[in-house]
Amino acid sequence: MSAPTPPPAGPPAVPPAPGTGSPERRADVIHDIGFRHYAGERFGRGWIVRSLLVDTVRGVFGIGRPARTKVMPWVLVGILLLPPAIIALSVLLTGGNELPMSYTEFLGQFQLPLTLFVAGAAPYAVSRDLRHGVMPLYLSRPMVRTDYVLARLGGLVIALFAVMALPQTLLMVGALLAELPVGDQLVGWAGGLLASALLALLLGVVGLAIAAFTPRRGLGVAAIVTILLVVTGVSFALSGIALDQGADELAVLGGAIDPYRLVDGLAVWILGVDSTIPEFAVTQAWQGGLFALTYIAAIAAFGGLLMLRYRKAARL
Amino acid sequence: MNPVVMELTVRGLLGRRRSLLLVVLPLLLLGLAALTRWASEGSINASSGLIGNFGMGTLLPLMCLLIGTGVIGPEIDDGSIVYLLAKPVPRRSILLAKLAVALATTVIFAVLPIVASTAIAGDEDLRLSSAYGLAALLAGFAYTTIFVALSVLTRNAVIVGLLYALLWESVLGGYVPGVRNVSVRQWALAPAEEMLGFRASGWGVSSAVTMPVGLSLLAVVVIGATWWGIAKLKTLRLAAAD
Amino acid sequence: MPPDTPPTSAAAATLPDVTSPTTAPAGVPAPSGPSIVTSRVTKTFGHVTALSDLSVEMPTGVVGLVGANGAGKSTLIKILLGLLPPTSGSARILGLDAATDGLAIRQVVGYMPESDCLPPDVSATEFVVHLARMSGLPSAAARERAADTLRHVGLYEERYRPIGGYSTGMKQRVKLAQALVHDPRLVLLDEPTNGLDPAGRDDMLELIRRIGHEFGISVLVTSHLLGELERIADHVVVIEGGVLQRSTSTAEATALSGVVLVEVTERADEVVARLRAAGAQVETADDGGGLFSVALTDEEVTGAIQATVADLGVGLIRMQRRRHHLTELFREVAR
Repeated sequence: MSAPTPPPAGPPAVPPAPGTGSPERRADVIHDIGFRHYAGERFGRGWIVRSLLVDTVRGVFGIGRPARTKVMPWVLVGILLLPPAIIALSVLLTGGNELPMSYTEFLGQFQLPLTLFVAGAAPYAVSRDLRHGVMPLYLSRPMVRTDYVLARLGGLVIALFAVMALPQTLLMVGALLAELPVGDQLVGWAGGLLASALLALLLGVVGLAIAAFTPRRGLGVAAIVTILLVVTGVSFALSGIALDQGADELAVLGGAIDPYRLVDGLAVWILGVDSTIPEFAVTQAWQGGLFALTYIAAIAAFGGLLMLRYRKAARL
Repeated sequence: MNPVVMELTVRGLLGRRRSLLLVVLPLLLLGLAALTRWASEGSINASSGLIGNFGMGTLLPLMCLLIGTGVIGPEIDDGSIVYLLAKPVPRRSILLAKLAVALATTVIFAVLPIVASTAIAGDEDLRLSSAYGLAALLAGFAYTTIFVALSVLTRNAVIVGLLYALLWESVLGGYVPGVRNVSVRQWALAPAEEMLGFRASGWGVSSAVTMPVGLSLLAVVVIGATWWGIAKLKTLRLAAAD
Repeated sequence: MPPDTPPTSAAAATLPDVTSPTTAPAGVPAPSGPSIVTSRVTKTFGHVTALSDLSVEMPTGVVGLVGANGAGKSTLIKILLGLLPPTSGSARILGLDAATDGLAIRQVVGYMPESDCLPPDVSATEFVVHLARMSGLPSAAARERAADTLRHVGLYEERYRPIGGYSTGMKQRVKLAQALVHDPRLVLLDEPTNGLDPAGRDDMLELIRRIGHEFGISVLVTSHLLGELERIADHVVVIEGGVLQRSTSTAEATALSGVVLVEVTERADEVVARLRAAGAQVETADDGGGLFSVALTDEEVTGAIQATVADLGVGLIRMQRRRHHLTELFREVAR
């Protein structure tokens, strides 16, 4: 008599898919439907930092967030894209052989929208997490405090660079369409991008440092705009005073405290382009050198302030 | 007007980081004024240039923004305004008390420094100082009231206020002729121009409107903004989300 | 000979996982021995000593950490997460050194803070997915595990609404979900039942118990409420002023004590006097009620009590062997 062979020991019975077994649906009952462990990939710090950076860039432009957060950034982008379009059109129609405004001059002329952009973006990047105490949740993850700060900073700087580079690129495309000399335009455009990168980094560090000092978003916005505007005003006042005294060379140095004039001065010195404000153009090498030192010092100082702030504030 | 509310507001406004800016900015102006005096040897035109552009055009609106949004904005933001609204104090009194504190702060931290800076930078018998002092007082009142009302109206008061103060008053006001007639700064400069009489044009003080027009429009704006702020406070809805 | 019954019934009774419940993330030694070992850990901030010479071994399973505010619990947690180096001493978590392997520790540990830490303008799903990615999970896995974990903690349709509108109980669940989403081997829960109503508290405690015993995840729970810990913790650690007071298994601490609680209807003092005369150790409460306790020195004590009561003709309401309570640990400490 042969006994029926037992079925081969195959995979054990599969549990019902979660949610289909119609458990009681009282809202406050916690169900045990089998905790599944995770044996898949876990990425390291590098991926995490990149991921947070991308999140920051998307958030600055309101992608993945409610519609009202998209208004401010995209309106400002629109404002910045309008002039290059108009300039390109005018060159096309009037048939000139030179752009009325150089690529680096563009950054200086449109300070206000850029200031407003960084004033809105920087508090978004850092103030929310500080305000709602989310830092412990980040710190208890496989990342270091500086990782978080650098990711946020990187995201902001990249967003700023995009906002500056896009209009410049539009200008370049327009110029090429208007059949202006290709070589000149490409060189100018590349120089403009370099200036944009420098400005984006400086504004990003300064903006973030200011925003990190207050968990209130409104105050952060106001403080950034106030400080940038006041600094511009003061720098012009100082330069004006120096000019009145006849100290033309010192007058140029007044620009060292204004991020826009600082980067403009660097662009003039490194690239040899025309200055946005001819009276205060950098002409001597020592002026350029001083500007470079000031730039590096500013990045270090504000960056240091930022790190200090997070060492103090980001306690569990 | 409720003295307790005023006391609470004062403590709230001056105890925050906001107050740091409120102290630093006038000091900056005073410093610049001293520098201007040294550089231009007390030339009235240089003084007027500094105060008219930097002082009235940049510093005053920004300080009024900081002050106006600071007396009620943070409380609405984090919801602690509920404690005040739940007390048996008329909404009118609450808003007026806060407005009073804001106006007093504006006078102390913005208007007086502007007067002092004008005197330091260069003046003749304090004529320019009083003129700019008057203009700053009127404009400061108007700006502050507008920003307080704005804070009750929207959580984004700061951004809207900035757009107004910077784009409308400064940039557009410089380029678009029609805008100058609808600008607080121009309205406030009208009495100043009147006060200086024949000296006004020489000293660079001019207004796009006449004094009666300016004063009446200022009054309309101040009263209107106050009334609107009170009305909005009566129906304030606290949202949980940012 | 009857055929072997296939083991399907037994298999169906368990809920098999897709992966083995004891598979550890790569690079971490398999669980063996205590989950947390601190060795003479001291932490000073200037002239304030937060922790003093703390040496304790916490086994796997559910461990309760008890201490008043300011007793050093948060400092200990920061040290265990590798975020704060101890002034002296060392700590090993799951075999990893807290001072040098902070990153590796935080890969396999989850933390649920006591404080408010949730932004009000994102939904629970978005937030937990984001934090899962911040733990190194790829986006697809993050979304899947976030959905799973949120279901586990009991958030269903609510998870798509902004967190700002949640009740306290729901917020606690979101915090727990983010601690579990990356499948840690150890979770540190700081006051998890804070602000929950009794039903929610029961649910949370039950979930914690299951996390510790069925999910294969060790748990360190902080709490003020000793009654809770009695229910779910296998081991209790008491800290006061940064100093270790007791570290004991719950079973030990709540064992049957050698005391019998007796309550009679009347003439309690006579009964007590008689028992004392017979050599028993009796403790009375001073309120003059009919309640007193007798030390169980030997088996005959209960017989003696019954005899006395019957003799005097009074009613015996109860004769109950008392268990220890965790609160006694504190009374000892306070003495």
